[in-house]
Amino acid sequence: MGTFRMLAAMAWRNLWSHWGKNALVGLLILFGTFLVVLGTSVLDGIDKAMARSITQSVSGHLQVYSRDARDDLALFGSGFMGADDLGVMTDFSRVKAAIETVPGVKAVLPMGMDVFDIYSASELDHAIERLRKSYEAGDQAGAALVATRIRAMADLLRQELQRRKKTMRDHEKLDKNIALVDRVRTDEFWAEVKQDHGPGVMYLDTKVAPLVDENEGYFLQVIGTDMHKFAEHFGQFELVSGQMPPVGERGVLINQKFYDKRLRNPVARYLDRLHREVTEKGKRIEGDPVMTGRVQRMVRQYRRITFQLQVDQARELSARLRKLMPGAKGSVDELVQQLLKVDDDNLATRRKFFFDEIAPMLRLYLFKVGEVITLRAYTRSGTIKSANVKVWGTFGFKGLERSDLAGAHSLMDIMTYRDLYGHMTPDKRKELAGIKKQVGLQDVGRDDAEDALFGGGAGGVEDETDAGDGFDEFAGVDLSGAGKAGVSSSFDPALINKGLAMHAAVVLDDIKMIPAAREAIIAATDKAGLKLQAVDWKQASGMVGQMVVLVRVILFVAIGIIFLVALVIINNTMVMATLERTMEIGTMRAIGAQASLVRRLFLLETMLLGLLSGGLGGALGAALVSWLGKVGLPAPADVLVFLFAGPRLYPEVGAGNVIVGLAAIVLVSLLATLYPATIATRVQPVVAMSPRE
Amino acid sequence: MGLYLTIALRNLLQARRRTGLLVTALAAVTMLLVMLMALSNGLTETMIRSATAISSGHVNVAGFSKHKTTDAWPVLHGISGLRKQVEQLVPESELLVVRERAWAKIISNQHSMYVSPTGVDIREEARLREAVTMAREGDYKEGGGDQVKGDLAKLSEPNTVMLFASQAKRLEVEVGDDLTITAPTGAGRTNTVDVTVVAIAKDFGFLSNWAAFVPHQTVKDLYEYGEDTGSVIQIYLKDPSQAEAVMARLRQDLKAKGHEVMEHHPAPFFFKFERVAGEDWTGQQLDLTIWSDEVSYLKWVVTALDAISYILVGILMIIIALGITDAMWIAVRERTGEVGTVRAIGMTRRQVLTLFLVEALLLGLMGTLLGGAVGSGVAVLLDQAQIHIATEAVQALLLSDVLNLSVTPSHVAGAVAVFTLLTGLSALGPAVRAARMQPVTAMHHAG
Repeated sequence: MGTFRMLAAMAWRNLWSHWGKNALVGLLILFGTFLVVLGTSVLDGIDKAMARSITQSVSGHLQVYSRDARDDLALFGSGFMGADDLGVMTDFSRVKAAIETVPGVKAVLPMGMDVFDIYSASELDHAIERLRKSYEAGDQAGAALVATRIRAMADLLRQELQRRKKTMRDHEKLDKNIALVDRVRTDEFWAEVKQDHGPGVMYLDTKVAPLVDENEGYFLQVIGTDMHKFAEHFGQFELVSGQMPPVGERGVLINQKFYDKRLRNPVARYLDRLHREVTEKGKRIEGDPVMTGRVQRMVRQYRRITFQLQVDQARELSARLRKLMPGAKGSVDELVQQLLKVDDDNLATRRKFFFDEIAPMLRLYLFKVGEVITLRAYTRSGTIKSANVKVWGTFGFKGLERSDLAGAHSLMDIMTYRDLYGHMTPDKRKELAGIKKQVGLQDVGRDDAEDALFGGGAGGVEDETDAGDGFDEFAGVDLSGAGKAGVSSSFDPALINKGLAMHAAVVLDDIKMIPAAREAIIAATDKAGLKLQAVDWKQASGMVGQMVVLVRVILFVAIGIIFLVALVIINNTMVMATLERTMEIGTMRAIGAQASLVRRLFLLETMLLGLLSGGLGGALGAALVSWLGKVGLPAPADVLVFLFAGPRLYPEVGAGNVIVGLAAIVLVSLLATLYPATIATRVQPVVAMSPRE
Repeated sequence: MGLYLTIALRNLLQARRRTGLLVTALAAVTMLLVMLMALSNGLTETMIRSATAISSGHVNVAGFSKHKTTDAWPVLHGISGLRKQVEQLVPESELLVVRERAWAKIISNQHSMYVSPTGVDIREEARLREAVTMAREGDYKEGGGDQVKGDLAKLSEPNTVMLFASQAKRLEVEVGDDLTITAPTGAGRTNTVDVTVVAIAKDFGFLSNWAAFVPHQTVKDLYEYGEDTGSVIQIYLKDPSQAEAVMARLRQDLKAKGHEVMEHHPAPFFFKFERVAGEDWTGQQLDLTIWSDEVSYLKWVVTALDAISYILVGILMIIIALGITDAMWIAVRERTGEVGTVRAIGMTRRQVLTLFLVEALLLGLMGTLLGGAVGSGVAVLLDQAQIHIATEAVQALLLSDVLNLSVTPSHVAGAVAVFTLLTGLSALGPAVRAARMQPVTAMHHAG
């Protein structure tokens, strides 16, 4: 003990007497610890934030799905397009019952993911519907107005079909369709309609409306689930507009992020994007080719505004635009183009003008909350199913408003999901192939085939599949043109838990229970004879989870390399310092110090230095992290909003981070001292006595 | 200068151990930088190779047809005439191919997925034939053997398809099996075509997840396109670095020939549908892009890798600079007497400064040259070893299932130069101090 105290005293003295060397080594140690504490704290923060993002928005704590699945569950995409093969849990009620026996399970939600095409009713559909209503109400003047509009649309449709001849092969069919349209362009047709509107409207509905190419390439990625349970158990869920669907009603809730980013009028999106780049990133339009390119492309989207305007609205807007831009001339098309030619000076006022004055005149979104949309699914077998569903509202996940990942999924009631899902077995496949042969290349009649095969399949609800009654606006309108659309709008809530589900989200009382609950769930479902697998949220997130692991690996490899180089440099410095100290060491040896004592002295010096500067570095790192914990580390890119569980990450320092950092750095510096210490022990006492130089 | 070098070399050799360690550290960091740059380079090259084989030429003449103001179809009519014009206008092209672009669901007996079945004439696709390697049976079939089944040349037969291994695995199909391709076409109608798998190629990372190749006619059948149509003319240049210049020239030339040409929008074609659908024209407009536009959504991987590399190497360089400064301090202190002597016999301050700087630069050069050489060597060896990457996420990011590294001599030379210079800079402080010493003090101190 006495020796140790003496050694410590000597080491302490040496620390200061060789400050040149020690300052450098200390600086390196300080920097290393700082880096480790900062890096691991931020990563732990990301881990925690991601746990919140994912468990509270999409996955729950655990996800359960069939052991027969060929693909791993990947809630945020597996890198392939199209639904993954997760197997099927044909009777969700059994799954739920088995899992609910596990202690700590708060809720089990049925889920299914898919991507559906959105078909909204075309302008012509709307016009035909208005025509019918005008006649039914005996409003001849109104009907005449709509008729003019429909004739104009028929002119456009004729031009469209004519243009198709350039790229399409079957001119004969195109000519036939043109003939169908031409009838609507004659006075005789409208004279007949005036006398008896029934057959004419029918003709428009069945012969002309289906010729409109209505697929505008919009799609909707949905999770079919129990929407009420979802809202209740997923903490980040937040209704943004509209309402929750009443219990037992079919429908969808659209993700606000997706709604704004994909379904909103492109001009509004361009303006917002420009505004954000200018205000948040400090960019300027002038001289920036990306920004000017954006403005140019926006100007060319002017029709997205003017095409929607009624005659009186156009006149009104022209007047207001001339007031806003004195000296501007031309038609409303030209005026709007001039409006959209924004520069750095007028971007703010013109954006305000757009949202205040123009937006109220437009359908700003592809569809509005409260409307009914047609969703079309390619079932697993490649056939098509469609359903009319009501959009009840929009929702978001708190703090994740800007994240595309969190904005990816919209919600749908599981009943409609089941309707749109076509379960595929080899037998059905064979049968379908037979039908397909009869139908041939053009697939118009295949929905019937699908119905014949899959109708009345899951849960006994598809019997209700029929024309969309209950939606006034589209009563009698066949929205999809080719597909049989529409399902009854309500269902028995008890059916939610019966029937099939692809996977299930398990919400626990506490996130810490995940490992134990996972085991217990597998045991419980095995006992119930269900072949299921359970994965935690990280695994269920697919590629996103892997990326975070990757970032961690990269950080550790980087820290490893940095430590390695630091080790070499520290070692080098120590060796040089040791060589300078040969006299001193020789003297020590001469007065009786053992080689082992010299070694211990050297190691102790390093340890002391390591603890001192490592402690300082750790403290600095911890201080920075806790400062970041207060003000938050802003997400440098929207992609990171999801990983940060919000626009800013608030990391916390754990004692673990500091201890690990300190231990690692002390170990590294001790390793770096081994060789210099060995050199020191080799110094012979005689050195001290030989004259210098 | 020769004298300085001799003295510097002598000094370095005298402090052999110190020199050895510093050279090793410098060499290690140079090596790391060279290898990271080789990785980034390899990634970029893989990207060009994958992109130009699968989804793009070096320059593309594509475009959209609008039958009405609100639609957008990736198809051009009069493609054969356009092709002749492009052939004339780009004499430096090595190869020209026409392709059809499509987006469809592909369905096997068990499974289905979305792919982009690209219409090609395999006989003229020299580039594609060269770039893809046929997969072994074991790559896509459990318990499959080492033999390669299938034949890419058979893609010239009607209603055939070439898949990539991961797709075949997913769809559970092998060569000879039948698949159905189905796609929505205009007016809510959906068409289907049955095809036979004739070849299965090795994966290309991300890009090959969505790509599949079929004969021209299959896509035309699917969309009921007419005879003289196509989606894109892909131009392969002898010198790919000319892509941008060729595109700019071609844009003017095609405009002069009376074609409507869209402004350059550096994005892949499938990002453009909505924009085109919102524009006010009808008919046909050409859209010219270069390969990097078509894979611009992957660029961030290279950017991220470069950022990580530079940050890491920057930190390391700071550490090493500290080490070198320290070493030079010690050297100056050790040689105070020597400095005094040389100053006393008439060496100027400037000469002393030069002496120490030359010593540091020589040290730097030795270290970085060694590191550059070893780094390049290791990178080349790693590249040749074609190490398989196990993690899917990494595979997807690197666009390949094997590790590709590519050493560019100019980059290595740059790294050597920059690091040597940095070494010199970190020795500046101690060297200035040595130069400032008064000869008398120096000699006295030494005494």
